[in-house]
Amino acid sequence: MLRFRRYALLLAVLLTSLLLLTVQTRGGGPVRAHDLVAFVLTPVQSLLTRAHRGALSVWSTYAEWKAVRTDNLALHAENDRLRVQALQALETEQENRRLRRLVTLRDRLPLTTLAGEIIGREGGGWARSVTVNRGQRDGIVQQTPVIVPEGLVGRVAQVQSGASVVQLLNDPASTVGAVVQRKRTAGLVEGAPGGGLRFKFMARDGAGVAPGDLIVTSGLGTLFPKGIPVGRVAAIEDKGSALFHFAVLAPAVDFARVEEVLLLTGQTSRDVAGLFSPDG
Amino acid sequence: MRLSLLLMAFGGTLMQSSLVPSLSMGGVTPDLPLIVTALLALRRGPEAGCVVGFVAGLLQDAAGGGLLGVQAATRAIGGFAMGLLPGRFWIDHPLVQVPGLILLTVADGLLRFGLLQLFHFPASLGELLTRVILPQALYNGFLGAACLLAIEGVQALRRRHTWI
Repeated sequence: MLRFRRYALLLAVLLTSLLLLTVQTRGGGPVRAHDLVAFVLTPVQSLLTRAHRGALSVWSTYAEWKAVRTDNLALHAENDRLRVQALQALETEQENRRLRRLVTLRDRLPLTTLAGEIIGREGGGWARSVTVNRGQRDGIVQQTPVIVPEGLVGRVAQVQSGASVVQLLNDPASTVGAVVQRKRTAGLVEGAPGGGLRFKFMARDGAGVAPGDLIVTSGLGTLFPKGIPVGRVAAIEDKGSALFHFAVLAPAVDFARVEEVLLLTGQTSRDVAGLFSPDG
Repeated sequence: MRLSLLLMAFGGTLMQSSLVPSLSMGGVTPDLPLIVTALLALRRGPEAGCVVGFVAGLLQDAAGGGLLGVQAATRAIGGFAMGLLPGRFWIDHPLVQVPGLILLTVADGLLRFGLLQLFHFPASLGELLTRVILPQALYNGFLGAACLLAIEGVQALRRRHTWI
């Protein structure tokens, strides 16, 4: 019975289809049938199409947002990379400039030198020093003067096989014989506990010392060549009738920023003041 | 149940005319009402397959502006035949259902071509087969597999959460 019903249904459906086809081939019928179906379908179709377009629009907006977000992330990453590159380029350019000045100075100096790089710093207040990557192996000995294109940095205080510790001019234990370049007034440049420099000179000779005067190494003794800039007079501490007066100096060298140095391995008796550029 | 079948046929046809064109690949679009008919027939039997196929085919005929009754007849036969398979063949696995859907699409195309020959349809069978029927059959198989996966997923979810 069930099987009969099944086939009866199929037969009915097929007959309906054939009837529809026959009616259409004879003319007339299909137009109405089409119209009827269109009447039912068209509103729903247009609604569905509109919903579909809306969904597509939402999707395309989302896809665009996602693409913009991806682009944004990529651009951020590229920006970071370019910033690092720019910093590296700037750093290289500055290093290049420093080294060029150092090489220029080395070529001008009438004595043998050795270039070195600062690899360590000590600045606690009790001692102020830097470590240079040149040592015994490079022929460095104690008391070797250390300079940069701006002026004197200090002297080698301790020599190791591959490195040397350089006592900076502003170390409290540092003392260097110096003169006022303009007046040739002699004195001693000492490191101040606060990290500055001061020039100690005899009052009777120092009447003419004035702020702005350049202090250079005196060349007395055999340690430092004559004329290496040490600093400029910033202020005079007048102690009245005291035997010695002090001048506060602005160091020629910014010790915190020194990165490459020249170690003077030779000696000269010439005044080298003209080869330096103490004001940078 | 009958109403739900009719709604499915109606929905399938509506989607075919509004949404499916955007799924076109190289000019080939899947036949969603046929997929609906086949999957329903496999689950609900020949009567459901026949009725859904007939209604969907009729609506497609009307929407397409062609001869009313051609697709109605072919889809009804196809749905009926697919509905007869359970019990005779092991059809539970998608690896059987998807090739079955592909074969049904080919059979539907051949039947439609045969029926249209009665009305002096001009195109050649070879061209229709290579350009329309076989590509669409493959697309239907692909979409049918996706539908089966989706149905399987929904059913698994329902088993896990009884409130769905």
